[in-house]
Amino acid sequence: MSLELWIGTLVAALGTYLIRLLPLLWMQRRMKSSDRGEGPEAMPQWLVILGPMMIAAVLGVSLVPRTPDAAGWGATVIGLGVTLAVWWRTRSLGWPVVAGVLAFGGVVIAARMVV
Amino acid sequence: MAGTRPTTAMSGWWLGLREALPLLGGYIPVAISFGLISTQAGFSTVETLVISTLIYAGASQFLFVGMAASGSPLWLTVALTLLINLRHLVYAPNLAPWLPQSRWWPWLMHGLTDQVFALAHIRLPQLPESQRVGWFFGAALLAWLSWIAGSLLGAVGGEWLTSRWPLLGEVMPFALPALFLVLVVPRFTSRRWAAALSISIAAALVCTLTGLTNIAIPLAAACGALCFYLIRLPTTHGPEAGGKP
Repeated sequence: MSLELWIGTLVAALGTYLIRLLPLLWMQRRMKSSDRGEGPEAMPQWLVILGPMMIAAVLGVSLVPRTPDAAGWGATVIGLGVTLAVWWRTRSLGWPVVAGVLAFGGVVIAARMVV
Repeated sequence: MAGTRPTTAMSGWWLGLREALPLLGGYIPVAISFGLISTQAGFSTVETLVISTLIYAGASQFLFVGMAASGSPLWLTVALTLLINLRHLVYAPNLAPWLPQSRWWPWLMHGLTDQVFALAHIRLPQLPESQRVGWFFGAALLAWLSWIAGSLLGAVGGEWLTSRWPLLGEVMPFALPALFLVLVVPRFTSRRWAAALSISIAAALVCTLTGLTNIAIPLAAACGALCFYLIRLPTTHGPEAGGKP
């Protein structure tokens, strides 16, 4: 890597870090000066809405299987169904994920053996 | 009590580590792909590790090595890398109300990826204040180290790994949608939230399928938020406008 590219890497790294850090400092300062206290009520409403929407968007992006064929999509639907069912019963974080991955993997392997 | 503080911090750290485990299913296969692509693009193993350690932002890293390898102007490479990461702007302010005073937070912000944000946004409000710094440290550190380790694996033996266990790279990433589903479902507290969140999920899916992966998250989130403001559906239960889901 040339010196120029090393500098580019460091600038990209520093920039990415500042994109993550500076809004925190801004928000902390805003909460301190807010007369609504330092809790969630000091957050602007658009930010309260946007947070869950970002998580939903991250879910949407991750839904596309690595191999987007019929087996991949079928396994995704079944995996999500199993995840949801186990979450419904356990209301936990870990078990639904384990069950979902196992179901997804089972369907993919079965489909690859059949085709 | 003097003796309870380290125990609480340690249990928070351990809890964060455990709860971030599902992230590994998504991080390691993608990091292996990055390590492989980076070395194929002409970067050495050390350079690949430096990029993964310091930039630490999946999609933009792929773009960075791709553009650098193709000889694109450096300023454009850096500018587009930062542009993709702009979505991170809204993450820390969303967490700020649940971050207790600590000198560690500025350093820990390096670990605030999409996935760590999604996990922290749900879990931090549920944890006692004394556990939050430890929890975030454990979760973010595990995610960061797994990304670096995956990049190393990909750079050193990516070709061998992907040819030896092709199914592993296909199955393990499903841990991410499964985890995000579990994080999003409890937020379907009213028809209004359900509609807005569904729009956001669908828009992100469509963007990804049409090749707009890099702007999918901010664009889809904006669509969902717009939907939230525009529609007025009768409530079933749960908080409404402005309230937390």
